[in-house]
Amino acid sequence: MEIGEERTTGALVIAPVGRVDSVSSGELERLVATRLDAGERWLVIDMAGVEYISSAGLRVLLVAAKRLKPPAGALVLCGLGPGVRTVLELAGFMSLFAVEPARAQALARIEAKASP
Amino acid sequence: MSTLHLHVQPRDGEPFRHEVRGEAAVLGRSSKADVVLADRYLSRQHARLVLREGSWFLEDLGSRNTTFLNERPVAQPMPVRPGDVIRLAESRIVVADPGGELPPQAVGDGLTGGTDERLPESTIFRPASELLAAPAAGESGGLASRLRLLNEVHRALAAPITLEALLDLILDRVFAQLQPEEGAVFLRNEKGELKRAALRRERGVTGEPLYSRRLAQEVTEKGVAALVLDARMDERFAKAESIVFSGVRSLLAAPLIDSEGCLGMIVLSAKSRLHPFQEDDLELLMALASAAAMRLRNIAHAEETARRRLLDRELDLAHDIQMAMLPKAFPHLGGIDVNAALRPARTVGGDLYDVMADGGRVWLLVGDVSGKGVGAALFMAVTKTLFRAIAPGSASVAEAVARMNRELARDNERAMFVTVFAARLDLATGELEYVNAGHNPTYRLEPGGRVTTLPGPVDPALGAVEAHEYRGSRLQLAPRDAVLLYTDGVVEARSAAEEEFQTPRLESYLGECAAASAEHIVQGLLERLDDFVGDAPQYDDVTIVALRFLGPS
Repeated sequence: MEIGEERTTGALVIAPVGRVDSVSSGELERLVATRLDAGERWLVIDMAGVEYISSAGLRVLLVAAKRLKPPAGALVLCGLGPGVRTVLELAGFMSLFAVEPARAQALARIEAKASP
Repeated sequence: MSTLHLHVQPRDGEPFRHEVRGEAAVLGRSSKADVVLADRYLSRQHARLVLREGSWFLEDLGSRNTTFLNERPVAQPMPVRPGDVIRLAESRIVVADPGGELPPQAVGDGLTGGTDERLPESTIFRPASELLAAPAAGESGGLASRLRLLNEVHRALAAPITLEALLDLILDRVFAQLQPEEGAVFLRNEKGELKRAALRRERGVTGEPLYSRRLAQEVTEKGVAALVLDARMDERFAKAESIVFSGVRSLLAAPLIDSEGCLGMIVLSAKSRLHPFQEDDLELLMALASAAAMRLRNIAHAEETARRRLLDRELDLAHDIQMAMLPKAFPHLGGIDVNAALRPARTVGGDLYDVMADGGRVWLLVGDVSGKGVGAALFMAVTKTLFRAIAPGSASVAEAVARMNRELARDNERAMFVTVFAARLDLATGELEYVNAGHNPTYRLEPGGRVTTLPGPVDPALGAVEAHEYRGSRLQLAPRDAVLLYTDGVVEARSAAEEEFQTPRLESYLGECAAASAEHIVQGLLERLDDFVGDAPQYDDVTIVALRFLGPS
């Protein structure tokens, strides 16, 4: 799995590409943990490149959401394809995440939250 | 010697020093041992040091993995002297000489200096392959002794040997043949970093034994052997710009290399040695290193196999425990026919089910923990236990599920979660009350052959959020109606052609089960899956629970 990263002025965007399953989710989990340990508080995970996510992958998203509880931080998901959205819906998790259609909206949402 | 000084290197912990006073000391994993070692392969009370008539003895306390003194198993009490090495499972204890100098402690990896450090001008590099291919240069006496040494080494290496004993043997032969003042073996760890694994010194050699990181990099990454003829002749080093080479007269290093790559290096140094090392010595050391590398690789492979075998045994045990948690016999209640099956994909899995009588009602539970393996199995066991403790007597299914969720979400930093479908059937009325927490929908099978999914909202899987109001739904079952609960291992079962079973196949099968018994429904579905999957490996746990309501009792 490849993982892209983009730093904007207000947030960090992490963009995994490919399958996020029990094999590859460890890599994503380590990267997210490293960034959060380093002090990142405003995170966008762009799922546009993700073709499949398993329950192991959902767990990584949950860990990130737990660590970035507002108001001291935020996690916004974007770019959910139909497959990824279905998995989130089936697990009953759609209500647990802030979700935006695309990266630009996700960043705007973070900006609105981060600024007092 | 009434006080014994120990340098303890536990497998799973930081090294420490310990002084044994009094007359005895127990070594073991137990917190009640006198010397507590963090090593999961140790027995709780593994071995004991005992003072008898002024001398210390080591005895094994019937440990599972025995105790070794200088790599010899301790069958009866054996005297212990400074310099001895005690090995318990994968932990080492070096007995130090309290009066003399302490054996050097590995500080970090035993390497120092930057990788950009310059090496002495007099350094000669020779590719390992060239040294191994070349016939021995020099006079025939050198050739004869080289052949004798290699023969000896090869013979010694043919016998079964531990890593420690092998490193000892390599250093033995090197010291006998090349008379260095100090010799060290560095090995790559799992992360590929070089760490000092063995060190030997002539008497009287002092100071922290450190070797140049730059030299180690050259030798191990380029696969070259190196000879530093005389560092003191080199102006820069004579001025002691590098503490690494200061005072070193001569140095010899060879990579431990085989066809699969480089395992580490062996390095020898001499400070006051009369004659510096020569190019002949380089060939000899390289030949020795090559023989040792082959054996080291074998040991690494064997250790990996042994570790895997141990893990397999533990997984088998975990599997037995997990299967024992699932009900095999179902409550003989008037008015229902119920059956279930669970097939883990790996030895242990994260699926679960339960069927439990509660007065005039019966509870059903099917769940699937995120992820696979031992972590999932533990979470499964907790979920199952909570269900048994919480569900009976609960006011509603939604309340029971909400309480289970609160318990599972508390301190759940790894965000494990379990999707469940929980239901309770009132045997007197046929009313089914249920909650879907992120799980596959349950099917209703009507006697006429109609197959539908139970309606209702989907709430989050358990463990994900601490406070959540779970929503229950109700459905009136008619006599002869059946329900089928399952996990996604059923619909995501994959054939050899990578095709998934999917819900249409499941629904079409269920359509044929209008009048079948619960056991027939479960077993028939397993057979369908077997036919579909064929010889392809099972990817996910498969769980099926079927219940038919026979009529108000």
